[in-house]
This record gives sequence, C-alpha cells and structure tokens, in this order.
Amino acid sequence: MFEQFKSLLVDKLKVAPDLITPEATREDIELDSLDVVELSLMLNSELGLTISDDELLEAATVGDMVALMEERGAKI
Amino acid sequence: MAGIDVAVTGVGMVTPGGVGVVPTWAAVRSGRSPAAFDPVLESNPVRISCRVPGFDPDALLGARRALRLDRFVQFALVAAREALADAGLDTKTWDGARVGVVLGNGDGGPETVEAQHRVMLRDGPGRVSSLLLPMQLPNMLAGQAAIEFGATGPNLVVSTACASGTTAIGVARDLLALDRCDVVLTGGSEALITPLAMAGFAQMGALSRREDDPAAASRPFDADRDGFVAGEGAGILILERLRDARARGARVRGRIVGYGASADAHHMTSPHPTGAGIESAVRAALADAGAGPGDVQHVNAHGTSTPLNDLAEARMLKRTLTGDPLVTSTKGVTGHLLGAAGAVEAILTVLSVDQALVPPTANLTHPDPGIDIKIAVSETSMPIDLALSNSSGFGGQNAVLAIAAA
Repeated sequence: MFEQFKSLLVDKLKVAPDLITPEATREDIELDSLDVVELSLMLNSELGLTISDDELLEAATVGDMVALMEERGAKI
Repeated sequence: MAGIDVAVTGVGMVTPGGVGVVPTWAAVRSGRSPAAFDPVLESNPVRISCRVPGFDPDALLGARRALRLDRFVQFALVAAREALADAGLDTKTWDGARVGVVLGNGDGGPETVEAQHRVMLRDGPGRVSSLLLPMQLPNMLAGQAAIEFGATGPNLVVSTACASGTTAIGVARDLLALDRCDVVLTGGSEALITPLAMAGFAQMGALSRREDDPAAASRPFDADRDGFVAGEGAGILILERLRDARARGARVRGRIVGYGASADAHHMTSPHPTGAGIESAVRAALADAGAGPGDVQHVNAHGTSTPLNDLAEARMLKRTLTGDPLVTSTKGVTGHLLGAAGAVEAILTVLSVDQALVPPTANLTHPDPGIDIKIAVSETSMPIDLALSNSSGFGGQNAVLAIAAA
C-alpha cells in the first residue's frame, strides 16, 4: 500500500519521490490543506477508499496515512 | 499626470512568437504569423488559433508549482521572471513592501473551469477539485506573482477585456506617480483558447474563418479582413520612476510618458463607429505626456483585423493625429492576445522606439480603400520620439499609452 500511496503522491501531486518515507510528516512532503483535499479525492477515485481530508490531516506521518488506507482497504 | 517620467527597466514575454522577448521580437519583425489549426478546437465553429510554441510549464516552473497554476498564471510568471532578470532586480533582497503588482486579465482561467465542469457533469460535485477557485480567479494572477517574488505592496488585477494589459500599465504608472510604490511589476496575461470561450467568440462573429490559410487569417487594415485570430500569452514590464532607475544605474529600455483611458458608453461589443471613445483616450494620453497631436511618429494600433474595429480606429487616427504617423498592427503576426494584447504591444512599442524600427503589419496585401492612414507594410527604420500603443476592449473600454525612448 505504501508504494501505491507513494506513486499517487508522485504522479498526481508531483511530490519529489525522495521526500516520501514512512516517517515523513505532511510538512516534510510539503502538502498543504488543499493538497490533502485533493489526496482524499484521489484515494477515492483511484483506489476506491473513503478517507476524509480531516482524517488525513490527523495522520501524523505518511506511515500513519498508509495505515489508515490499509484499515479502510480491509473493510471494503 | 504630466511631468511624471516612468522608466521601463525590464521586459518579459510569452507569446505565439515564442517564449521570451528575443523570439517574439524576431517573429513580429518577420511578418509571418504562426496561426495554425488547433486540435483543441477540432469540434469548434472556428478551428484556428495562435498558440505559444514550446511552452513547457513543468520545465519552466517546476512540476509541483505548475500543477496549481492555470495556464494564464503560468504565462505571467515565466514572463515576469524574464522581466525581473532583464531589470537586474534581486527579489531576494528588495524591499517587497515598496513593490506593487498590477496585472491585466480578461477571463481568469477558463481551462480550469471547463475541465472541472466536465468533472462535475461526469462524477458529480463531490469530485470537483478544491483548486478550482484558487486556480481560476482572475486576481490570482497578481496574487501568485506576489507569492513568487515576495512583492507585498499594492496588488491588483484589472479587467477591461482586450484593453486589460494597457490599463494595468496605466494604473501602475499612477501608483508610481502617487509614490505608493518604488517598483511595479505590470502587464497582462491571458489563456483563453478553450473550446467554450472560442465557441463564444465564433458565435458572435468576432473570429476570422479563413481556415484554409490560417497564417493569412489575421490581416489588420486589409480589405479582406474578416475577424481576429485568438492568441495567448503574457507581457510583463518592470516600471520604476525614471530618477530611481537612473540612481540605481538600471538600463532604461524606454519611458511611459503618458496614459489615457476612456469608455465608449455605446455598445457591449461594437466600438463607437467614429472611434470617439478611443479618440478621448488618445487625447488624454497626449495631454498626460505634454505632447500635441503632431508629435506622434508611430502608433502600435489595436488593429484587431475585425471589420469594425480597424475602420473606426483608422478614422480616429486620421482625424486625431496630424503628424501622419506610421501605424502598425502586430496582431497580424501574433493574433489577438486579448487581456495580454496591450501589454505585449506596449513592450513591442518600447522595442520599436528603442531600436528606431517599426515592424510590419502582416498580411496587408489589399489595403482597405476606406482606410486612409500610413500603415507599415514592411519593416521600416525611422527615429521615433513619441509613439502610442492603443487598446480597446468589449464593454467599450479604451486605454492608450504614450511611449518615448530612454
């Protein structure tokens, strides 16, 4: 799931690939609130996952976001 | 504001002639239009346009930055970087609070609007991008320039349709005259070649339908003109008070010595048939410059290649200016850059004055017998003390700049 998330960040939001590690925070990968809304939309349209932008904002790191994705993915 | 001398210390352009001042000037001097069939307009009533060739926003601005900018903002930032470098200003160390941004734009970001409208129709409003509004608002042009360059002084976008770029430069001049800024980044940008916007222009009969010969479609003042060819791009100028520019040892490319503005108060799209509105703006610009009707040697006309505009403007020039100035319309090459047109043409006029050279009016093969002014059909070398750059927009808004050499 991490690799899927990373390619979404790189391909759709043009985040530099070397910044994206499980420990990286939202600030580390330079995502602002508008990016997070876009990310929420993309997770839905690309992977069929329903995760709100508020939930993504509460995730401290990339790893936490991926954990959220895995949790939601397991439910569907 | 007679007595106020404003220097142009930097210029930058992104136009159908190319990305940069040098390729644009070369294209305009060549007299050959790059107008061509446009695949984006394949289903449109009119399918030709003047696109910027080789514009790669990811390479020029960085992919992450470019992703959040509509095309009209991308053009402006690229042109602004060129203008600032040309002016020799360091945005890292300047006093940003004394730097203003005044830019002209007609329609914001229709490309973003149309793309997101398709998303809404297909997937519903819940899939519309959060970037729709911040990308398409016209004022984002100046807002993004402020972010990019740390310009925290007065920041605004003016919208007077196809006079926007000229109006912006006039307002920038006023800000300098009122001492509200020491430096103003000004000009205009437009990226309006989208299927919906071009359908609108086609339906109102504004566009040339010479699809069999696109390069000959934009033909200002020619008897066979049948409308304009839409272009896209940006022109950016760095303005400073002349004394400030001289004090910092800047190269002065030219001077904005007068500005005039007016409204036709006549019709939503047709210019006043006698050119009365634009005449008021010309007279105001001359008065601002402290010049008389016989002092003008060159006019970069609005010259859209529409039957009505060119006739009204030519009659006005014949009646208003007594010095028989040499007139050109560079739209014969570039097409009509709409909200950017006035800014690009102001820069071309600065280059004309600086280089003592009037570029040709492309495609003028059968001059309209009803048009009795001196038009440059080929490149002409001549000294120019004073030139005018004219613009008029739908809504009947007119703006004129008086431009002199350094």
